[in-house]
Amino acid sequence: MHSKQRFQWAMLAPVILLLTGLTVFPIGYTILNSFTDYYYLASESKQFIGFANYIKVIQDEVFLKAVWNTVKFMVLAVTAEIALGLGMAVLVESLKRGLKILRISLLLPSLLPPVTVALIWQMMLSNHNGIINHLLSYFGRGPFNFLMDIHTAFYAVLFIDIWQWTPFAFLLIYAALQAVPKLQYDAAKVDGAGRGRIFLHITLPNIMPSLMMVILLRTIDTFRLFDKVNILTGGGPANSTTTITQYIYRHGVYNLQIGYGAAASMIMVLLVLTFSIFYIKRSIGGSGHDMRY
Amino acid sequence: MKKNVFILISFVIVASILAGCQSKGADKLVVAARGGSHVTAMEAVKEAFEKEHNVQVEIIGLEAADLKQKISLDAKNKNGAYDLIMADDPWMPEFSEAGIFANLSKLGVTEDADFEASSLALGKHPYGTGELYALPFSGNVQLFFYNKQLLDKHNYEVPQSWEEVLSMAKTIHEQDGVAGYVIRGQQGNPIVSDFLPIFWAYGGQVFDDNWNAQIDSEAGKKALNTYIELLAVGANYETTDIVSSLATSQAAMALGWPSWFITGEEASAEYSPVPAQAADGAEAFATGMIGNWMMGVTANSKTPELAAEFLTFITSSEVQKQMVEHGGVPTRKSVYLDSELSAKYKHFPVQLEALENSVARPRTPLWSRVEEALGTELSAAIAGTKTVEAALSAANQEINQIMK
Repeated sequence: MHSKQRFQWAMLAPVILLLTGLTVFPIGYTILNSFTDYYYLASESKQFIGFANYIKVIQDEVFLKAVWNTVKFMVLAVTAEIALGLGMAVLVESLKRGLKILRISLLLPSLLPPVTVALIWQMMLSNHNGIINHLLSYFGRGPFNFLMDIHTAFYAVLFIDIWQWTPFAFLLIYAALQAVPKLQYDAAKVDGAGRGRIFLHITLPNIMPSLMMVILLRTIDTFRLFDKVNILTGGGPANSTTTITQYIYRHGVYNLQIGYGAAASMIMVLLVLTFSIFYIKRSIGGSGHDMRY
Repeated sequence: MKKNVFILISFVIVASILAGCQSKGADKLVVAARGGSHVTAMEAVKEAFEKEHNVQVEIIGLEAADLKQKISLDAKNKNGAYDLIMADDPWMPEFSEAGIFANLSKLGVTEDADFEASSLALGKHPYGTGELYALPFSGNVQLFFYNKQLLDKHNYEVPQSWEEVLSMAKTIHEQDGVAGYVIRGQQGNPIVSDFLPIFWAYGGQVFDDNWNAQIDSEAGKKALNTYIELLAVGANYETTDIVSSLATSQAAMALGWPSWFITGEEASAEYSPVPAQAADGAEAFATGMIGNWMMGVTANSKTPELAAEFLTFITSSEVQKQMVEHGGVPTRKSVYLDSELSAKYKHFPVQLEALENSVARPRTPLWSRVEEALGTELSAAIAGTKTVEAALSAANQEINQIMK
């Protein structure tokens, strides 16, 4: 080995060791555990059971419900957050005054930890003392048991997530809007293009890489939805708000069924990859639009 | 010179690291506790022990789920991070079988007849008859809470049966426009704890003698129908709303735990033991679910003898009396019967009676999983996504699967 190569390997070694220790080993260990009946408090009697955990997970109605809830949540939350974030960004960008105050106040929800957000909304949505029901009562409506009614619980959690993360989408899209060359707008105006055409043919193509990045980040993040559901509904009523992460937590963490939880986790990883592969391919391959973040 | 400075700095760093890694000496006891009033009560009384033994007692308050997880994870370490741990009583079989607790008899802790018998039984493994692994720290037992003002308005006495509860709840709901009865129907532990006392009153048992589930029995169906009817004339609230609605006459009746309500002489709700019968004249059963928080010494504690001394101290009658003033819930008969305290805390006789007639959840290490399965199906039944029969049948099937 040449001295230059030796030097390169010496420089790379710490990173490789770190990655192996913090990423490769945990993933490998999780995969191995997923083929065992590993129960943490009886780890001495751990046995290899092949694909039994995977079969059990896939056959479990609660898991299938959790997958459905998670996917539904992801599609609705990401769509709404992107649409609202884009709308807010375009609106704010067109304003001439009060920009700073508006930008800061719009960002406030996303600065709060998810647990705090869940607790605040739990108080506000309370059907006995909550301010939302008090407001509704002025209009002769309610009280609604938002978090314990099977018709509303899922949408209440969805609404809270949109409330918290739309500002994040707004921030990235707004930053992208700032970078659109003004010359392109001027040229379009000279050519007589209307607002709609300018938005479709100039704004949108320019901010597309940022939009894709926001979609990717929010897709991955919504898949990990846990705190809000665990605090607000506990997965109920009737599993209408159970998510995959909550399912994994219940089995793998609370009940210490590490093997079973690992199998469910591996299935979740595959699902996240399936949903993210399109974005990741674009990101790595650089086809279409460059990902600049 | 530079070399000397380098050596000195290196020495200081290494010494600091070694000091950091040094095993914890006997000058500190760490207690992993359920957060909230339990921690407040312990903090208020620990100083006397600290002074007497020249030791610092650190109390770490955690949410129930976090506490269970952290205790379990730490149990596998050779030298545990905790010397004493609190455990919800249904966790006892699981923790005892896993060897998380040290045997208290071997540490010189003797059985004390002053502890309420049903509470003491929870700390033994096997349940009630085996060796002592934990002492009862907080004597929580489910009680029947009611708003006296609303009941008096209709000239109602405290109901003795669930059919009476239902009939009163219907009338109050129709005539006063408030919740006749409030259920705590959140999926998981809340709905199971809320439903089981009614199920027991109908003569139901989750398991037969051979650990076969029998939740879909006639008793189960009748109890769940009653529960759904109660919801129809009431509301489904979480803890805070149950407390405030009963206190402000927005709800008439509910089940609850003493530590939610009882804060001293000004306690707003009245309480009584949980109705023991399904209907007037029917057979009476023990229905008050016991939910004690237990405390034991960890098997991997570095100072088990000192930890056992603290356990004896914190559960002694003198200290329990002091803790009552700080939100503590006693487990000793002498504290409940103390004339000074019972004059001030008028619920004490009721609570002692409830403890004496309490019923423990099935003593299986798999209870957490059973509870989860049952909670899911009960939630489906009250949400109307499954019929009573379908939900109970599914629960039975799943519980049997877990118990295999």
